[in-house]
Amino acid sequence: MKNPFLALFLGAATLTSSAFAADSWGIANETVVEIEATVVDVACTLKKDCPANCGDGKRQLGLLTADGKLRLAAKGATDFAGAATDLLPHCGKTVFADGLLIANPAMTIFMVQNLRMSKDQKLQPAKMFEAEWTKKHGKAAEWFRADPLVKKVIEADGVLGIKGLAPAATP
Amino acid sequence: MRNLTSTALMLTALVASNLPARAAERVQVSGEIVDTWCAITGIMFASGTAHHQCAVWCAVGGIPVSIKTKDGAYYVVLRIEDSDVSLANPTIVNIQTHEVTVDGELHERDGVKYLFVSKVADDKGIVTLTHDENGIVPFGN
Repeated sequence: MKNPFLALFLGAATLTSSAFAADSWGIANETVVEIEATVVDVACTLKKDCPANCGDGKRQLGLLTADGKLRLAAKGATDFAGAATDLLPHCGKTVFADGLLIANPAMTIFMVQNLRMSKDQKLQPAKMFEAEWTKKHGKAAEWFRADPLVKKVIEADGVLGIKGLAPAATP
Repeated sequence: MRNLTSTALMLTALVASNLPARAAERVQVSGEIVDTWCAITGIMFASGTAHHQCAVWCAVGGIPVSIKTKDGAYYVVLRIEDSDVSLANPTIVNIQTHEVTVDGELHERDGVKYLFVSKVADDKGIVTLTHDENGIVPFGN
């Protein structure tokens, strides 16, 4: 594989789906861990502004542990996608989230790689984003290039984000 | 006495580790709108034009969006002006990589600064040009 970033992204995703347990990504300050926590709407937890069903897919979700720690669920197991699609069906319920706790001094985040509802269940890869996206838009080799909103934004301003500015031609 | 001191220190540490979230405060924050995952993990170069496309992908994918300040602090955006949509919000997707100044309410909890933006006071657009040096990250296209 020519591109090391592609190898990092796709390699880790493949390991996750085949091993059914969290895998290290070699990220600084990461801990491989399975946490027992309640799925919460982060804004609701912080400000007591609580729409039904954790915002019904419109809000960032978190994992609130029994000792009161709120973990921002920043990433799921689908490439370039978060964990909210996987967590939303469990709003207000306790889950076991298997993944990476990344305690960067600038921000602590959690990557959900697998989920289960109880310890005696098998871990399921947190890849519902891709499944739901495919249901809505049809199958695509790379959801992130085929998504209508992505295409609209990139077509408007280009891959560099500035209209008229193009990357140098590859020799 | 030594035992008392040790106990007091342990209790202080225990209390400190279980402190409730800080009270919210009004702040003004300036910085680049970034994709939180790539920026915090450092798995790839994640700033400016080189990473703009990936930042759009990740925002549309529902990964939290943050404002990164010049001193390296990150603020997760949970609200932007009239919209409390923080998952793939088109308004936020459209200002990925922009240099902005925002007014908002800051909540800090368990190692994360959360920002409820009440007003985008200034939007300079994309000013950090990084593609000449870094190409397009990731994949090169």
